[in-house]
Amino acid sequence: MPEPIKLTVSHASFWHNGSRISLKNYNILLVTLLAVIPGLLRYGIPALSVVTLSIASAMIWELIMNFLTRRPVSIGDGNAALMGMLFAMMLPAITPWWVILVGTFFTIVIGKQIYGGIGGNPFQPAVLAMAVLMLSWGGYFDFNEALVSYQFDFNPVYPLVLAKSFGTGAVEGFNSVDLLLGRQVGGIGTSCVLGLIIGGAYLMLRGYIRWEISISFIVGMFVTAFCFHQANPEVYASGSFHLLTGYSLFGAFYLATEDSSSPVNFIPMLIYGVLGGFLTVLIRNIGTHIDGVIFAILVINIINPLIDKIRPRTLRKGVNYA
Amino acid sequence: MKRSFFGFIKPKLTYEPITDTQAEPVYIQAPQKIRFLLDTPVDRSGDLKLSVGDQVKNGQRIQVTADAKDYALASKVGKITDISPFIGMMQAKMTAVTVAVDAEANKAVDDEFKEQSQTPSLEVAQRFLHALPGKPDFSPFFDSDKQIKAIVVLGVDRDLLSITNQFFVKTGIESIKTGIDILRKITGIHNVVLAVPESLVQVAGASEAGVKTVDSEYPAAHPQLIVRHVLADEIKAGDADGNADVAFFSAEAVSAMGAAFNTGQLPMNKLITLISKNGNKRLVCATIGTPLRDILNRFNETVQDGDRVIFGGPMTGVSVYTLDHPVQPDTDTIMIQDRTQIPERLDVACINCGECVRICPVNIPVNVLVRLLEAEHYEEAEANAELGACIECGLCEFVCESRIPIFQHIKLAKHSLEVMKAEESNA
Repeated sequence: MPEPIKLTVSHASFWHNGSRISLKNYNILLVTLLAVIPGLLRYGIPALSVVTLSIASAMIWELIMNFLTRRPVSIGDGNAALMGMLFAMMLPAITPWWVILVGTFFTIVIGKQIYGGIGGNPFQPAVLAMAVLMLSWGGYFDFNEALVSYQFDFNPVYPLVLAKSFGTGAVEGFNSVDLLLGRQVGGIGTSCVLGLIIGGAYLMLRGYIRWEISISFIVGMFVTAFCFHQANPEVYASGSFHLLTGYSLFGAFYLATEDSSSPVNFIPMLIYGVLGGFLTVLIRNIGTHIDGVIFAILVINIINPLIDKIRPRTLRKGVNYA
Repeated sequence: MKRSFFGFIKPKLTYEPITDTQAEPVYIQAPQKIRFLLDTPVDRSGDLKLSVGDQVKNGQRIQVTADAKDYALASKVGKITDISPFIGMMQAKMTAVTVAVDAEANKAVDDEFKEQSQTPSLEVAQRFLHALPGKPDFSPFFDSDKQIKAIVVLGVDRDLLSITNQFFVKTGIESIKTGIDILRKITGIHNVVLAVPESLVQVAGASEAGVKTVDSEYPAAHPQLIVRHVLADEIKAGDADGNADVAFFSAEAVSAMGAAFNTGQLPMNKLITLISKNGNKRLVCATIGTPLRDILNRFNETVQDGDRVIFGGPMTGVSVYTLDHPVQPDTDTIMIQDRTQIPERLDVACINCGECVRICPVNIPVNVLVRLLEAEHYEEAEANAELGACIECGLCEFVCESRIPIFQHIKLAKHSLEVMKAEESNA
């Protein structure tokens, strides 16, 4: 009797739409380059070394944790590389190597792996690491100090510092086109706003990030800044200035949208985004910190599980069927 | 069937409409052996009703034990050559009965049904017609907890790619009408609705039943969704407390029922949509009990190690483990997948992307559910994550970015809960 054929047996469903985690992460990683490459061109080799060290060390931390926790090697899914990239994008071009190593340690180990790896983290890992570092070694993240050795053909002062310390009058020199094209001091991958917008639009269209979160974040930010500006135009900068400076759009497209730490239902996504934008401007305008994006996102990460309970009613059997 | 380039265009899985150029079904020659799968385990009690060597006649009821509820109908004349245990889904203990067909004596018919068919009644239907092609289920009418207010005849197919039931509406509306008339007579229920895809509305009118259109987007043809979206008004109007029950029959079953009562003979040919590896689709007509192997040989379909053969459609079917698996009364579709076409499933944790939540037709918080199911917290899943509301359409798994076998988790959870409840009530 011939050997029986060994068929593959598994449970339905037998089709799949083809999406996978690595595909999503590589897509996001690819479009971050739109904002990172202009930064590299502006800041040169030091910026390149920051980005590469950050990505490499994030992946190595992930690998170490894979071995320590005896779990399958997960650097192939691109998430560690992406987190390293996002962390590097927020840094000034001159950052000591050990700050980067500590930062990626907090990103991968404390931010993600101790919760069980991808999908388990309650905070966006890069945001958590950034918050820890900013509170611990704030001096390294003062862009004016860090980038003092560079010569720029534009106002070399971090716009948000100017706005915070000297009011609207001090930032009149910045026009929107310059800010859009990245003619401002800032993180390696966060100052070329145009690159962020194109990348974000691509990701929203492809469905890799949830447009509801990004758009509502932007709206929340703009409306809050607009209200402040209307109330006292001399002290508080306009909505468009806030959107085009600091980590604003980077936060809206890349940080707030991280899957695990953001809600999935429609109304919660809107609340989450609007609240993030609102808090950002609140911290910038009346808080002590210069940029509020990091802390605003940490706060909305915390409330995410609570607001995501607002969901459409499950359709139980309205009528019994036999 | 891939994700569209633009993420905001949600995957639209649409039911296949039957076309005008659809070829006639190909008849599979009478097999040498036929096989029946019965839900009753062979070793449950001593009083087996069957033994190897028994002769069976055309249309004779095959039961494992005298008090077993399920039965098969012998579709050919022959001799029982084997009775063996068979493991079904979720380790269900079943019995496989093999009959060697006696080609010479093909005309011998069991006349028990012929006598009783003179007086059509629900009891006769329950006793003989449950194993007809399309597997009509009469048990709701015998359930005293249920008050059936309407009957829906499904002229649509449950899963994607299948066109079996549509074919009956398209080409055999007369026999469906006969079946519906008999259903009305034996049940006393006059509210019969024929649910069809839009392309068949014209044809369906001849059935003299209420014709309702079902959307072409999966899973609109799911019975529970038909009740909710298509029949909601009627049922609410008919019953103040909204507690009416609906009985479902497939178009094929109704048509077979009509033929059975009209002629006194039990139709035993099952219409199947056969989908080859390359996606080619043909209609096949095979005797119930025909082994899969005979059908594949007829079309020179080769199946190799690692391929997958699915009884049922791509979303909700069941993959089989042997080429001896027989055609059953409810096998509407057989689909063959090459091993290179089998999508990968992984053991990665949920990343909370929310695709499943947004595609779920009944709004289950799948992201919460899957976490509980992976941890085997089934009772909590039932209480807090709407496990019981699942209609088992398979869409969450279709879109899962982590490629978690969510559907399998859900089925396993439901099964485990059932087992737990059964144990509690026995204790």
